[in-house]
Amino acid sequence: MARGDAAAFDLLYDQVADSVFGIARRVVRDPAQSEEVTQEVLLELWRDASKFDHERGSATAWVTMLAHRRAVDRVRSAQRESERERRTATSDVPYDEVAEAVESSLEHERVRRCLGSLTELQRETVNLAYYSGYTYGQVASLLGVPPGTVKTRMRDALIRLRDCLGVAG
Amino acid sequence: MKGRDQHIHLLAGAFAMDALPPAERARFERHLAGCDDCAQEVAGLHETTARLAAATAIAPPTAMKQRVLAAAAAARQRPPAAGPVPAAGWRRLGRPGWPGRLVTAAAAAVVLVLAGIAVIFGVRNGSMHDQLSRAQDSSSQMAAVLTARDATMMTGTVRGGGVVTVVASHSRDALVFSATGLSALPASSSYELWLVGPAGARPAGMLPAARHHMTGPVVASGLRPGDHLALTAEPASGASRPTAPMMLDLVL
Repeated sequence: MARGDAAAFDLLYDQVADSVFGIARRVVRDPAQSEEVTQEVLLELWRDASKFDHERGSATAWVTMLAHRRAVDRVRSAQRESERERRTATSDVPYDEVAEAVESSLEHERVRRCLGSLTELQRETVNLAYYSGYTYGQVASLLGVPPGTVKTRMRDALIRLRDCLGVAG
Repeated sequence: MKGRDQHIHLLAGAFAMDALPPAERARFERHLAGCDDCAQEVAGLHETTARLAAATAIAPPTAMKQRVLAAAAAARQRPPAAGPVPAAGWRRLGRPGWPGRLVTAAAAAVVLVLAGIAVIFGVRNGSMHDQLSRAQDSSSQMAAVLTARDATMMTGTVRGGGVVTVVASHSRDALVFSATGLSALPASSSYELWLVGPAGARPAGMLPAARHHMTGPVVASGLRPGDHLALTAEPASGASRPTAPMMLDLVL
């Protein structure tokens, strides 16, 4: 490994590890498994840095997309399914659960406020799909809403969040 | 056919949140490949979910860093796929679709992509605060240094604690500096960078306060051949010549 690569990766680690671990922890929940997912994602980043294509979006979006996918893959593995069903059945997921994050950053506040501007159904689809890793079909049955409605609400929700957060696109 | 396209287009939100089962995900990805409008919408939605992820940021256990860096040192990087590799070039902060700039050596591209990702992250996180305008001013200069053909990266250890990473480009007469783990200074003091040549030390900028143990990245310009990079702790207002012992000596 070239020394420059290693130095760049060291720098990258410091910049992205908190976001990667944050979303892994949020989706996967179990601390040890969240750490495993975080390590996998960071190593994937290292191995596949050349796959990053700036034409398709920012580096931030790329890294968090990788992290979220890995976290979701992990949480959907069969042996955890029964445990997750039970947990969600017994407790609603409040939208300000983002408050789990250690730091109450400005970004955190902004996202919380924008989530608050969604309709309840839109917000629930984001909480259950993005933050808890459920498929839209699972979200539909959890909320007792037709799958087609959930699909459109998911898109509406993200478009509204995009505009609220001032994301270009 | 048109009705079916319309229907599948509605899946963009579920796709961006990874809420599609594998078969539908694959079908949507095939659709995306031939639908520019959809690809553009999905890119915007992924920028949005990135913000959802950023809101959950939390520091991993400190031991993880050593494990990951050690594993990376043992792992081989995959070579770039066939075709030109886009380097980490960008024109404006935080917007997709920066114009690319080809870097000839694939290995160099990997370094630059990694460094570019790191810098974008740092600048974007910093931009939440009043550093926004300054960050925007320096981002194009930073990009120019990081994508320069003669960009070289080096690291150094700071006496008193911390590791610095520097990317220097003599063709751009500038360097990008960042550091991790610098010891905290009292409020009356700040770290100051110096470029040291035969004629003595020239001030190269005050470092901003660390965030999450990370200082910078900052751009220092006015680099001359043969310069060394030095660091001292000075009064917060800055000094015109070093008044404290040098904590770093890096040959550029």
